[in-house]
Amino acid sequence: MSETYARDGQLQAAAGIVILMVTGLVAAVLVIAGLIYATGISGRHKAALAAAACEPNLSPSGLQCTDVGMLTAQYLAIVNPAMQQVNTDAATYTANERHDLGAAEAALTAEVASEHGLGARLAAFPFPPVMVPVANSLEQAIQARATLLAEQARSSSLTQLRSFSQRVKVANLAVQTEMKLLRQAVGTRPTASQEP
Amino acid sequence: MDNNRQPASYGGPDAYQPDLYPDDPLDIWEKEGPADDHQPQWRATKSRVDEWMDVDFQFGGSRIKRKTIALIQLGAAAMVPLFFMLPSVVTLNSNTISVSGDDTLGTGAEMCLFLCLLVTPMVTLTGMRWFVPLRKWYGIMVAACAICDALGAGFTDTFAGGFLGRLAGHVFELMGFMMVMLLIPLLIISNTWAQRKLGRYWKRLQRLTYAIWALLALHLILLEGFGLERGANGSGFAGDGDPIFHQRLYQYSAASLFLLTLRLPPVRRWIVARRREGRNWLVWVTIAPTFALFMFAMIFIVNEEIFKGIDSFRETPSAE
Repeated sequence: MSETYARDGQLQAAAGIVILMVTGLVAAVLVIAGLIYATGISGRHKAALAAAACEPNLSPSGLQCTDVGMLTAQYLAIVNPAMQQVNTDAATYTANERHDLGAAEAALTAEVASEHGLGARLAAFPFPPVMVPVANSLEQAIQARATLLAEQARSSSLTQLRSFSQRVKVANLAVQTEMKLLRQAVGTRPTASQEP
Repeated sequence: MDNNRQPASYGGPDAYQPDLYPDDPLDIWEKEGPADDHQPQWRATKSRVDEWMDVDFQFGGSRIKRKTIALIQLGAAAMVPLFFMLPSVVTLNSNTISVSGDDTLGTGAEMCLFLCLLVTPMVTLTGMRWFVPLRKWYGIMVAACAICDALGAGFTDTFAGGFLGRLAGHVFELMGFMMVMLLIPLLIISNTWAQRKLGRYWKRLQRLTYAIWALLALHLILLEGFGLERGANGSGFAGDGDPIFHQRLYQYSAASLFLLTLRLPPVRRWIVARRREGRNWLVWVTIAPTFALFMFAMIFIVNEEIFKGIDSFRETPSAE
């Protein structure tokens, strides 16, 4: 009985080391192949980015594959709903600015909130470094307009309320100009000189 | 043979219970007779690390074992996949749950499964048992991640066929659904009361884990295929340039080679015998390439989990 156990044990031990050696050999080959393959990561990364029309300088983290279309879509997904809300608030204000102080001020307050929301979302947007100055200018223009509207919303009469109109027009123009510049920057591929 | 074996000299919830733990390294003594170098009393003593881990220390106003702290730290990692999904669940963001929830939770379940399956080989390799309770914890987290993954897919995916159609309407989903169906009973019986009630059948039922392991292979084969024809397997951005490392089936295979090899009775027997001879270095040298391959695979599984998880947490999901 014990001889059988001993023989079986020796066979088992032999089988164990054979299995380990074979799997170890396979694993060693795979690990070495993996390490060799890993040395070419950088080159393949660049080639894959180029093949997928990705722009490294549009990818703030350096990891995501971001192309012009994706960046534009992300940007518009933020700006379009916000501008729609701002326009709705502005239309409400226009409808009330001559006869209902309360409603007009409420519309202005809502517009200020929408502007702040847009400003915050733009501040958090991962703009590529090359677009950051334009984005900052837009945020400042939006902030200035929101401050002006907040001041206008504190008016004590309809006359005082309407007296802000000219200043608001100028602020609107500033926002529109900056927005147009940023839209152009987002929708246009950077030139070779802008590459990091 | 059994008469010669001494019971473990220590108690506690993780004390050796041969009938309760599937795949325990000591099972081979019971089933197949002793090896030629059988020394029945080797289990009677704890390893030095086990003894060190059992020591209490003062923590705040109470005393706590070192291993408790270590277990909490190691176990906390398994909560990460669910933590990543928390914001999208709280805000009921169906877009995030639909687009990156399956990757975050699916990869999380895979990670926890491998960690769960890693416990037995590590007991075989080191002779330590202080981390054995992690097997149960990781197992519970596999079930939690897989069930949440299935629920997320059932409620938010865009496939046709209603809730059940989204759960099992495609073959790869059916494999995932079957895994969940097997995990639910395992989760239910993962408590001490069920262990006592089910006795030796508990251990047999726990072996369903291996069926889940195999179903995961089928799930990944159907999801990823054997090759790289999709060119962008894994972490979800085509510009990555590393399709091989991110191919989930390759990751699975590389990790499983180590876990499977160290479960084979002849291998376990050989390792235990070398350990008892005091030739641990030989064991480690022999398994080093397989272990390195396992670590290689786990690095990329964790990488996938982190990237997809952060996307989910920020609610900016990225599709593959």
